[in-house]
Amino acid sequence: MKKLLVLAIVLRVLVAAFLFHPDIKTFNFQASFLKKGVTDIYSYLIENRKTLPLKEEFVYFPLTYFVLGGYQAIASPVLGSGFDAWLGNADSNTAILNPNVFRYLLVLKLPYLILDISIAFLLLKFFDSGVMGKKAFIIWLFNPFTIFIIYAFGNIDIFPVFITLISLLLIKKEKLLLAALALGIAAGFKLYPLLFVPFLIFGGKSTKEKVLLGAIPFGIFGAISVPFLSQAFAQSTLISGLTTRIFNPGFAVGFGESIIVGLLLFSALFFGAWLTDKKPNMFNYWIVILLIIFSFSHFHIAWLLWIAPFVVILVVKKSFLSWPIFLLATASVVIPLLYQDRSMTISLYRAYSTWFDLLPTPFNAIERFYDPYNLQSILHTIFAGGALTISYLLFRKEKTQ
Amino acid sequence: MKKMIWLTTVSVLFLVFVVPAILASALKMIPVNIQPGYNSDIRLSIYKIRGFSQKFVAKTGNLTAIGTSIRNPNLKNKTDVIFSLYDNGNLIRTSVLNGQNLEDGSFVKFVFPVIPDSLGKEYIFTITSPGAGPEETIEVFIISEPESTSGITEYIYEEEVHPGGIPLVSYSQPESKLKTINSVYSSWLSRLLSPGSQKSG
Repeated sequence: MKKLLVLAIVLRVLVAAFLFHPDIKTFNFQASFLKKGVTDIYSYLIENRKTLPLKEEFVYFPLTYFVLGGYQAIASPVLGSGFDAWLGNADSNTAILNPNVFRYLLVLKLPYLILDISIAFLLLKFFDSGVMGKKAFIIWLFNPFTIFIIYAFGNIDIFPVFITLISLLLIKKEKLLLAALALGIAAGFKLYPLLFVPFLIFGGKSTKEKVLLGAIPFGIFGAISVPFLSQAFAQSTLISGLTTRIFNPGFAVGFGESIIVGLLLFSALFFGAWLTDKKPNMFNYWIVILLIIFSFSHFHIAWLLWIAPFVVILVVKKSFLSWPIFLLATASVVIPLLYQDRSMTISLYRAYSTWFDLLPTPFNAIERFYDPYNLQSILHTIFAGGALTISYLLFRKEKTQ
Repeated sequence: MKKMIWLTTVSVLFLVFVVPAILASALKMIPVNIQPGYNSDIRLSIYKIRGFSQKFVAKTGNLTAIGTSIRNPNLKNKTDVIFSLYDNGNLIRTSVLNGQNLEDGSFVKFVFPVIPDSLGKEYIFTITSPGAGPEETIEVFIISEPESTSGITEYIYEEEVHPGGIPLVSYSQPESKLKTINSVYSSWLSRLLSPGSQKSG
């Protein structure tokens, strides 16, 4: 077990140090203002946009800023005196050719490593059977998908993913109020855990508990967000990726109205849970919500991490799903790699050589003989079909067991 | 489980150590210099007979492309932009791009068949857009002094000779895939192992 853990860490360190996605530099540049005493990063970035070398908004929720900024303050002796200058260097060539880049990447991704390994131990504890727990532990540590998604992309979604898994563990131990608290904290990093709340409410045994299960996560999220409420905050966070992509219209019903497919299925799931399920299995609902999101929205590769611990649990519980899930996982990772975005593929290797800027992206390469959008659509449709089948199996099996 | 551990270990090692070699072997040209800095407010317009000529000393053998930043305001130029390379007054290479493929301010490469013995030789190239009217002008950025890494010495605009020229990048065709792979790994390792690079301070 110890040897496996060491191997798992070595593999992660290699990807963390050498593969670079520019987002990690951008959000750490933004988080570096905490050291200078800035608490409302949303307004600060918009008010000082003209003078700042990097102009992007901070699209994450406040806890991400405070955790990343706090970590930078602690790690600054290791990062060294040139670190802040590197963060603020808007020249992508000189920034990536800085000989310290490997150390910066490794130190900045160290919290991810700690949480990633912690998730493996949470999964070990999730199962009552030691054999199943160990299987989950190994699958988490030795699947190429999460290593790539976490470390190549500098994926800060690991924070809410870790806390959401704690929430699921608390549900298993029937500590629903604490689970609700955990969801609220997770939403302080990123919004998506709030999607689980409507289903958590059905786990309550009394009306009072149900009200609390609904109120606690939103209350915590509100307490974290309210101090920063402003136009800048709304513009930066609420109008960013998740909300706009999930609620993308599906098909028109006339007079400017549309049916939003993802929301339609979410709503069907919600009312199904409410009206037909007397003892809702939270795990099933949560994983299906995420399958719906990935099936019917233009997702970012980082989002796939949200579902990863749940998928590991599912594969351990129902091993006959291993191969279908492996195929669907492969499709789901390949889809974003086909986006017209260099940083998804070739640019990850800029730390090796900026010469790779001359290479075409997979999108451009495919474009020469086939429509890459069509290929994305084919893969996404296949994924959606498989995801819907797995969702159906989850609930069918649940009822016949 | 053992198979999975092996598969993942091999996949990660492949991603980290082998993929860069594959990418390097796919390179058809490599840049010889980094694009010199320039003031974006100093520009020259190119349209109709108003062309631009640049004298430069090639810093590489196997010269195969010249790149620079070009403005195409409001993407109005949709005509041909012609790059002609001269050696001692003889036209030796041409490369044509269409204005509709020129995004405003984007970095553009004029690619031509390789010139094997180009190292150290002085060339002149022109950039013209004879089909463009005054409303469809394209613009190049100007550095007003000779620049040694790119090899620019002087330029001619409206029949006047000035020192400096455009912030250009020369590209050479790699001698062999193996040499390119070797260069990529050498550069990576030299930064990784450079003294003090992995120490704080």
